Amino acid sequence: MNQRLNLSSGPHVRDIWSTSFIMKMVLLALMPATVIGIITFGLDALWVVLASVASAVLTELIFDKLTHRPDTWKDGSAAVTGLMLALTISAKSPLYAPIIGSIFAILVVKCCFGGLGKNFINPALAARCFLLISFPGAMTVYAIDGVTSATPCAELAAGNAVNITSMFLGSANGVIGGSILGLLIGGLVLWAFDIIHGQIWISVLAGFTAFMGLFGGKGFDPGFLAAHLCSGGVVLGAFFMATDYVTSPMSRLGQTFYGVLIGVLGALFRVNGSAPDSFSYSIIVANLFTPLIDTYVVDKPYAFRKRMIQRRLEGKQPFRIPKPVIALGVIALLAGLALSGVYSMTKENIDAQKAAAAAQAYKAVLPEAESFESCADKVETLDGQVYGTEFGRTFIKDAQIGKDANGNVVGYAVSVTCAEGYDGNVTLSVGVSTDGKINAISFTELHETPGKGMLCGEPAFMDQFAGKNAEKLILGSDVDAITGVTITSKAVTNAVNAGVDFINTQIRGE
Amino acid sequence: MNLTFRGGVHPKGRKELSREVPLRRFDPGPCEMVFPLSQHIGKPAKAIVKKNDPVLVGQKLAEADGFVSACVISSCSGTVKAVEKRRTIAGTMSECVVVENDGAYTPMEGVGVRQDLSGLTNQDILNRVKEAGIVGLGGAGFPTHVKLAPKEPDKIQYLIANGAECEPYITCNDQLMRSNAEGIVEGLELTLRLYPNAECVIGIEDNKPEAIAAMQKAVRGKARMRVLPLHTKYPQGGERSLIRVIAGVDFPVTMLPADVGCIVLNVGTAYAVGRAVAWNEPLYEHVLTVTGEAVKSPANFIARDGTTFAQLLEACGGVKEGVTPKKALSGGPMMGVAVGGLEVPIQKNTNALTLLAEDRVERAEKEQTACLHCGRCSTICPNGLVPALMADAIDMKNWERYEKKLYGLECIACGSCTYICPARRPLTQMFKQTKAEIMARKRAAQAGGKK
Repeated sequence: MNQRLNLSSGPHVRDIWSTSFIMKMVLLALMPATVIGIITFGLDALWVVLASVASAVLTELIFDKLTHRPDTWKDGSAAVTGLMLALTISAKSPLYAPIIGSIFAILVVKCCFGGLGKNFINPALAARCFLLISFPGAMTVYAIDGVTSATPCAELAAGNAVNITSMFLGSANGVIGGSILGLLIGGLVLWAFDIIHGQIWISVLAGFTAFMGLFGGKGFDPGFLAAHLCSGGVVLGAFFMATDYVTSPMSRLGQTFYGVLIGVLGALFRVNGSAPDSFSYSIIVANLFTPLIDTYVVDKPYAFRKRMIQRRLEGKQPFRIPKPVIALGVIALLAGLALSGVYSMTKENIDAQKAAAAAQAYKAVLPEAESFESCADKVETLDGQVYGTEFGRTFIKDAQIGKDANGNVVGYAVSVTCAEGYDGNVTLSVGVSTDGKINAISFTELHETPGKGMLCGEPAFMDQFAGKNAEKLILGSDVDAITGVTITSKAVTNAVNAGVDFINTQIRGE
Repeated sequence: MNLTFRGGVHPKGRKELSREVPLRRFDPGPCEMVFPLSQHIGKPAKAIVKKNDPVLVGQKLAEADGFVSACVISSCSGTVKAVEKRRTIAGTMSECVVVENDGAYTPMEGVGVRQDLSGLTNQDILNRVKEAGIVGLGGAGFPTHVKLAPKEPDKIQYLIANGAECEPYITCNDQLMRSNAEGIVEGLELTLRLYPNAECVIGIEDNKPEAIAAMQKAVRGKARMRVLPLHTKYPQGGERSLIRVIAGVDFPVTMLPADVGCIVLNVGTAYAVGRAVAWNEPLYEHVLTVTGEAVKSPANFIARDGTTFAQLLEACGGVKEGVTPKKALSGGPMMGVAVGGLEVPIQKNTNALTLLAEDRVERAEKEQTACLHCGRCSTICPNGLVPALMADAIDMKNWERYEKKLYGLECIACGSCTYICPARRPLTQMFKQTKAEIMARKRAAQAGGKK
């Protein structure tokens, strides 16, 4: 064997994780929020993201070439900075903003201070603040679906109510990286893989929540705290900005202190400051403390941590849940919350639609009424049971007293469901005027056989009821059934009779 | 109980290359055998033979010189050719006894004969260990008779047998435990006589189930002895890691294991103690693995001191066809020392020859970036240090901060931080150098103070 052998000091093997691998992981972790942002804000957001990332990478490439430095643009850190900047600005920003911002971030904040690992503040945040100060008008235009409106954070600052669910999912107005769900998924994955330090994000969120609860003016109201946590980049800051390696301390104690500092400053700026999206500033201020913290707060070696030795000697082992289990649990919880959020959002819609249909039906049966007064208490006494004994399986759903503009009673409207239609439920509203006559009926739910049962919804049948005395009507004599549609005709008549009876005995009876 | 320490890394084990190959003896034919006088920590031994002296297997070539020193024993028979400077594994020239091996391996009278152990006193045991030239076979090569004689033997709580073998690639102790479990246990039993209040714990990483089973069988029915399977993690076999797991204490580098009631012996050393005390067989051969991607058929040997790496590699069929060896290591890839050529004699504490087909360090140098302060090094440091800040302090030449604030001298140079660093910074190398520098500075200051 006469080949030349390499000589070097050990160790002679290396882990597979490299700087660029970590950067790629961070890029990947930012993807859920980016994708949700692009879906919410459309192509505008995509252009901002692309412009920002491309100009960041290009700036570093050109700087490397001009200064004859090694090709640091390949390590992915410039792309991370570009993407983070894009996520912190509005999709409506003019395209020159992310480009100028990225150039500032890479050239001034990063490269001029020595490149990767040497910047003293987070480049993306520095660029964001630079843009906010330089172009205050253009940078604070937030629009969703082309409609400009205030961000939830600004609404909160003004004391208005916000929709936490839409903020959580990312469908609220604001910056591109506004989806708390997307950010949490990415952030927790990074934490599970030990890429970001738990001490930092936990203490940021804890510090923020504690300060907001104590001094926010509304106490520890969960809705209020959740709204603040979900708005203004708190989550993006806690998971992706504050945890930036270069500008955060190394010791656990130092990281905790730094995280609390960010949380408290962020909350303080929000309570007492003028700018609603001031969280970036709190991180930048804390970044400046990092060298100081690292100088004075250093973790001691195990052998010098007396408490640890004591605990070991006594044989007490602190129980720890493995991190991946926690992360998976939290992701599962988030997914559950998201699903229930979607449900409650759509449920509200469905309920609202039903209510609107009912209101329309009441209006149709009592056209003179300007407003309605609910008699829900009377309906509730029925406890959802079948109404009466002579109307088949009918249920009173709702009852209203109609009033004119002067507040005088002009009639009564009841919503009744008969479960004995040919094809399920028949729901209708009956209006009875104060003179004791049926005003009109109107269907809110009728899905019978077309050409047969559906004929009951035609004026030829419905109009028979109008003008009749409000008492029990008999099918065949008072009301003519439609030939061959006996079942539906009977169901409708029963429903009308039940409604009229309810008005007579329960509402007018008093 | 938590069977591991905090931190640590998981380099690829690569033990499958050689782990199923049974130990076989390798005796080179007539040739030159070289015995360095300094194969241990401490003062080099003093040669007691001269040119043209005839020697036999088991004969003492050099006498321990001073308190921390060890004898050197001949592993072959023949005549002394010279006492001169030769190149050793460390890469430097150092004083060696060169013996012309006649290939007959004639033993000295009484070597390998079963001894009567009934009337043996503790001092007898220590003397025999000393005369046998036994040093720690785990790598450091600390003279064993010194280690076994702490100030207060009654205070020793644990005699820890280190069978962890956490270094990647190496499998010789695995094979030794599988095939010679009784021999190891005999050595441990004899050692245990020295410490009336101690329990013997044999720690083995759980990637060696066969060795664990063999050792468990061997300790069955023995008083004060048990086998403890450990997590597979580097540096599990480090002295401090083992003590942390078994005795549950962390202690600074200024303290010795004996100060916290522990004595740690490599299983190979324990076996050598048994052979020396019970069979009057001094330490002239030991187990060794020849492995690596560039070796044709990796194997585990019982090899004689003074054999060269080249001879052992040839016994393995040489270099694998079509593969160019990039690096040869004495030891494994984490703590092993790169050697410049294979014509160097193996020593008592040489536990492996690892011939790598790819030098990862070459690529690492190209991948090097600035420190990100990601903190991975401090997460995995088995001693709880913060290597990134230590490196910063070195860059700023702030020795005061390095030593006092960052406890830089606590580094045991296990290499974990260099292994894990995503920026590929040569951290361990910096720390070794800095430690040497600070120590030299201190010595200079002390010498200056005396004048």
